[in-house]
Amino acid sequence: MVGPLHYLVLAAALFALGAVGVVIRRNAIIVLMSIELMLNAVNLTFLTFSRFPLVVKGNDAPIAGHAAVFYVIAVAAAEAAVGLAIVIAVFRSRLTVNVDEIDSLKN
Amino acid sequence: MNFNPNDLVGILPAVILTLGGCALMTTEVFLRKDGPDRRYQPFLAAVFGLIALYVSLSQLGDPSATLFAGAAVADGIGRSISAVVSGTLVLSVLLAAGYLETLSASRGEFYALALFSAAGMCLLSQATDLIVVFIALEVMSLAVYSLTAWLRKGTKPAEAAFKYFVLGSFASAIFLYGAALAFGAAGSTRIADLALAVRNANAGSSMLVYAAGALLTVGFAFKVAAFPFHMWVPDVYDGAPAPVTGFMAAGVKAAAFATLARILIGGFGDVGASMGPHGWQSLIVLLAGATMLVGNVLAVPQRSVKRMLAYSSIAHAGYLLVSIAAMAGSEPRQDAVFGLVFYLASYAATVIGAFGIVALIERKLAPTGASDDLTTWGGLAQKHPLLAAAMSLFMLSLAGVPPTAGFMGKLGIFRAAIEAGLVPLAIFGVLTSAAGLYYYLRVVVYIYMVPSTKPEPVVGGRMLTAGVALAACAVLVIWMGVQPGAFATLTQSSLAGFGK
Repeated sequence: MVGPLHYLVLAAALFALGAVGVVIRRNAIIVLMSIELMLNAVNLTFLTFSRFPLVVKGNDAPIAGHAAVFYVIAVAAAEAAVGLAIVIAVFRSRLTVNVDEIDSLKN
Repeated sequence: MNFNPNDLVGILPAVILTLGGCALMTTEVFLRKDGPDRRYQPFLAAVFGLIALYVSLSQLGDPSATLFAGAAVADGIGRSISAVVSGTLVLSVLLAAGYLETLSASRGEFYALALFSAAGMCLLSQATDLIVVFIALEVMSLAVYSLTAWLRKGTKPAEAAFKYFVLGSFASAIFLYGAALAFGAAGSTRIADLALAVRNANAGSSMLVYAAGALLTVGFAFKVAAFPFHMWVPDVYDGAPAPVTGFMAAGVKAAAFATLARILIGGFGDVGASMGPHGWQSLIVLLAGATMLVGNVLAVPQRSVKRMLAYSSIAHAGYLLVSIAAMAGSEPRQDAVFGLVFYLASYAATVIGAFGIVALIERKLAPTGASDDLTTWGGLAQKHPLLAAAMSLFMLSLAGVPPTAGFMGKLGIFRAAIEAGLVPLAIFGVLTSAAGLYYYLRVVVYIYMVPSTKPEPVVGGRMLTAGVALAACAVLVIWMGVQPGAFATLTQSSLAGFGK
């Protein structure tokens, strides 16, 4: 029987994978994908708590989690648009998207 | 949940700023590519900012009201921060006007993005629902990421924007995971329901509540640039156009600190000072001390004034965290709340002025990608005595020397810390800010005592517009330092409906 704990552990694992990806991956596009993975782990957590509520607030509590997921999806789309535009600006100025080579601002 | 149109009055500053952004975005389409007909854009943006400023100031004394069934609130601190953000916007767009024209980067979207970002800041300071906080945070941040990458010459702006974007989105995701866990513990994303869940936490749900609190705090610690989440600040502040850096330092900090206070006091206020591993006050005290130390120590070796101001903004985030730590104790929290709002207002006036003068110097340096090394500032006093005087004033205010705004701000915060029983933290804060005197006064020394080795340091037009904005900053800095009582309505009304 798959219960809420399975989903929560899966979400936590996905979130951790995304966080590690942001930190260790060298390709800017994969860094963006890792951020998306973190946001989707959050969505899974919201949905789990909606489907298996620990605390019930009124009768709209299960809906609140689902609604939150839609907001997160919409914001993630806007974020991806801005992020890709910035990656393109980086690529145009130095013809690489390797994070290690984006280091002109150090002293 | 029904939509009540009257609730829009409560978020009127954000509504005005959004409409202004839409107006600038729409009219931009009808303008010729290069030509004189886009000269009005900064002034239109400033007018919308002034209207929002007027509205938030006129609503200051009103009783607090819950909006949109508890998703947002129109209370004192929200209105004070809206006023600070609107003022920040007005001064920043006036300083940006000549900067962008000189670098041929003058397009209407710049002002539209600034207005949208300011709208997000106003909403952020009023949000009482974690999802609304997230949306407002992203409205603010996405616009600021784009503004950071505004200049298309050289490698620095795009690189700064990329670093800001990656770390900012990372922080937002961490915040959001905290919101999801809080939703699990409370059954709702309202901060008020979270407070109930914190109060009634049992053995099963307490871990969930504390994990949520930790993640929410870490998310905002990134945004306010607290140690150890400060690494992005120097690069981003250095790479962004100087007027944007000023806007970012003043506006983003004001909105993020108001929200951090709202979440910690509104959601976790009951466990603030309780001892043991569950009170967050001791954690914030450590964070504040480390942030003040790191910011001040790392600013010392900086040769670029812009980079030095970036590290100094980390130090100032530390002073502001002291006021959050002082709030953690039991009520009354009024001194800490006053201190926070006054400090944010005084820091905004000072830092926009300082980055405004950096922007004047940078007009000449930006096309070559050179940084504003201290030697660039040498001899400024002979060529531009007024600019030199203003920069010295802003440096003294950042260092906290009387009779400037920065001194009164620090006084308020450290007094609140002492009243809350955090005497060692207050002493440590005063000591670190004394260390800060060294690198602030070094700029003054270069301006007045080192002879100029370079030709004319300031190029480009619109000096009058920039001069008016800088004069406004300077007047505010002196006024807040000499007569802080005149700003009492701004700070004292901030307590209305907050932290109960």
